[in-house]
Amino acid sequence: MNTDELITHSRARFDHTTAKRVLKEKYQAKLTFAHAGGMWRAGPELQSTIFTCGKIGEIVLLDLYENPVKVDKTELMALSQQRWQEQMNAWLVEYEELNKQR
Amino acid sequence: MTTGVLIFAYNNEHIDYLAMANWSAQNIRRHLNLPVCVVTDQVIPANYKFEQVVHAVTEGNNSRWFSDIRQSVIWYNKNRSSAYELSPWDQTLVLDADYVVASSQLTELLKVNQDFLCHRWACDIINSNSFNSNNFFGVNHMPMHWATVMLFRRSKTAELIFQSMQMIRDNWNHYRNLYGIFKSTYRNDFALSIAMNIVNGHVLNIPSIPWKLLTVTPDCKLTQLSLDNYLVEFVSENKKPKQFSFSCDYHAMGKQQLGDIIANNS
Repeated sequence: MNTDELITHSRARFDHTTAKRVLKEKYQAKLTFAHAGGMWRAGPELQSTIFTCGKIGEIVLLDLYENPVKVDKTELMALSQQRWQEQMNAWLVEYEELNKQR
Repeated sequence: MTTGVLIFAYNNEHIDYLAMANWSAQNIRRHLNLPVCVVTDQVIPANYKFEQVVHAVTEGNNSRWFSDIRQSVIWYNKNRSSAYELSPWDQTLVLDADYVVASSQLTELLKVNQDFLCHRWACDIINSNSFNSNNFFGVNHMPMHWATVMLFRRSKTAELIFQSMQMIRDNWNHYRNLYGIFKSTYRNDFALSIAMNIVNGHVLNIPSIPWKLLTVTPDCKLTQLSLDNYLVEFVSENKKPKQFSFSCDYHAMGKQQLGDIIANNS
């Protein structure tokens, strides 16, 4: 047995700051989704933009690549809300789990 | 339109890239549900499973220092630019053998109207201060585009990018001098970055994968806790041993540690 390795291992502390930052990178990626040939980031910003464009019908929005994309408002809103809720809930679960670790 | 993953796997005396590709293929099928084609010069062992195998010789070789192995090893990396000709698919995801697929995140790239995508930004999973300089190269700090994950569709743009990479590879000393790259070792990341610069008309706003390439450097100790869940142990800047676990896609720069994980899985 390598006792130095054993001591180092036992002294290692869970790094909450780094774990929290990696979680943020992970979920920022997971909030990104493709629809109608464009790339979007689910969240309040996208949903507010769609909301200001009225209730139903087709609109043209700029995607993450700054390309104009014709989308169905209802469809994109539903996808964005669903993705946002799913991933934020998953983020919360993982965040609470990491807070339990020492 | 056919879609699949292409992995280049050329073993050297220290690193079994073919074993990495085989393990990666299992992860790819599980998360992305895509067929895998391996490009290699080896005979495929009977227990390895790839949907397609392309046998191709490596064009030349490089020597590169691997800090986890603590020596320079031969690095067969010069035919990545042939991916366009070698791929059997219409839409191809080219992955490094040491890129670990631990989620279905990459499937989003397959649904977007872009002919070519790769990562513009990589970040160190432990956020070390020194890593960010890797996102730029040469004396003029040109933006780096990472060849670790590349998505391309059969198109004029993609064809030109790969042809440019070949031109840069074949005239490496010229481009090295032009961009002021200190190290002589040819890297696909450099060739891709220069090719992206040329093909996109020397602009900064080039379409790329809209999230960062998480990277585990060889300075960290990487182990697998469970399926898709990994542990990183490292020494912080104030010399304290630290650790944390994570479960997402990442690029494992420490080949030996990844090799150990794969050996434990087989």
